[in-house]
Amino acid sequence: MTELERALVLLGEELAFPPAPDVSVRVLARVAEPPPRRRRRALVLVVAALAVAIGAAFAVPQARTAILDFFGLRGATVQRVETLPVVPPRTAQALDLGRELEPEELEGALVPSALGPPDAAYVSQEPYGRRVTLVYRPGDGIPESIFTGVGVLVTEFVGEADDAFVDKLADASTSVERVQVGPYDGLWLEGGPHVVMVESRAGSYEDRGRLAGNTLLLERGDVLVRIEGDLSRERAIEIAESLE
Amino acid sequence: MEDRPLAEDELVAQARQGDTRAFGALVEEHQTLAFRTAYLFTGSAADAEDAVQEAFVKAYRALGRFRRGAPFRPWLFAIVANEARNRRRSAGRRERLALRAAEDPLSGGAVPSPEAAIVDAERREELLAAVESLREEDRLAIGCRYFLGLTEEETASTLGWRRGTVKSRTSRALERLRERLEVSP
Repeated sequence: MTELERALVLLGEELAFPPAPDVSVRVLARVAEPPPRRRRRALVLVVAALAVAIGAAFAVPQARTAILDFFGLRGATVQRVETLPVVPPRTAQALDLGRELEPEELEGALVPSALGPPDAAYVSQEPYGRRVTLVYRPGDGIPESIFTGVGVLVTEFVGEADDAFVDKLADASTSVERVQVGPYDGLWLEGGPHVVMVESRAGSYEDRGRLAGNTLLLERGDVLVRIEGDLSRERAIEIAESLE
Repeated sequence: MEDRPLAEDELVAQARQGDTRAFGALVEEHQTLAFRTAYLFTGSAADAEDAVQEAFVKAYRALGRFRRGAPFRPWLFAIVANEARNRRRSAGRRERLALRAAEDPLSGGAVPSPEAAIVDAERREELLAAVESLREEDRLAIGCRYFLGLTEEETASTLGWRRGTVKSRTSRALERLRERLEVSP
């Protein structure tokens, strides 16, 4: 330990943290109750409200935030819409993933050990922060996704902006479900295609919409992870749990 | 495996079976450090308290997915940090960390002479100000590792980074800290 490190440890001992409250009684009272029911009713209401309010909500960031809290992770939101916007079909070559990364540049990125090292990796600097994408070819029980043309895409958004930066629009054919991946909160989107939109810091939407297949969105620390592919929910969670 | 009490695995196993008393023992064991960790993020005692309470409730409900035999604290603190982050957004400014007032009882150790205490206090204020001026990522790394005394594994889990990243970011943060301390006389 260097002198500076020792000084920091000593400093830590001198810090005036507020006294830690005893939460045990309240925690135990709460865990003794049955867990709250899922917010089905609220979800239905929101879906209905959104179908009407979507146009206005897009334009008013505050309204959008308020409504989307129901579906939201910190860095991502899922909105229900009656009809998906028309987006041009994309091929793998046109996914616009950014600059290709050398394997040694992957240091610091989360890689799912369930899939091993990616076949290719890309990075792009976006208005909201950095985006790293790991690409896995089809094979080994992973079919080719008709939406991306590859097997699995693992995208990591490292946000610098405080606002939500990924939006997904889902119509009624897609089910949206909250899932728990280890200690982290996630959303699982399955069924019909949905549209991925990327929001710029200015609050407008970049013209980056594309159709996506089954997707697991996971908030992990300050990184938002999106795992996309023709995967079952269980397989996607397994991949997500193996991220390290 | 450090000096983790043997009983922890058993407490976790019992809590998994729905034994809330066993879970209560885990809460008592970890809540102080959990609160300080949350406070590092929120800078607000009320938000930190709220985050810790919610995190324990979520942890209890997620115990079925806890990997048996794994250390409990890294897993718990990932949940605490997540709750703390979610609350940080709604709150106003983060209160800065402060030194304890001189008359506060120290946590043991020899009492320095008054002159030495003043010099030390100045140096510590300076060091603390330098830490507070770091970017968020560096401040959190320093806070977890040195102020809270979390292990690399615990820090990695709390901040959602890989262990290698904790290492590299911490040494980079120390480097920046050194630079700042050299600039200010």
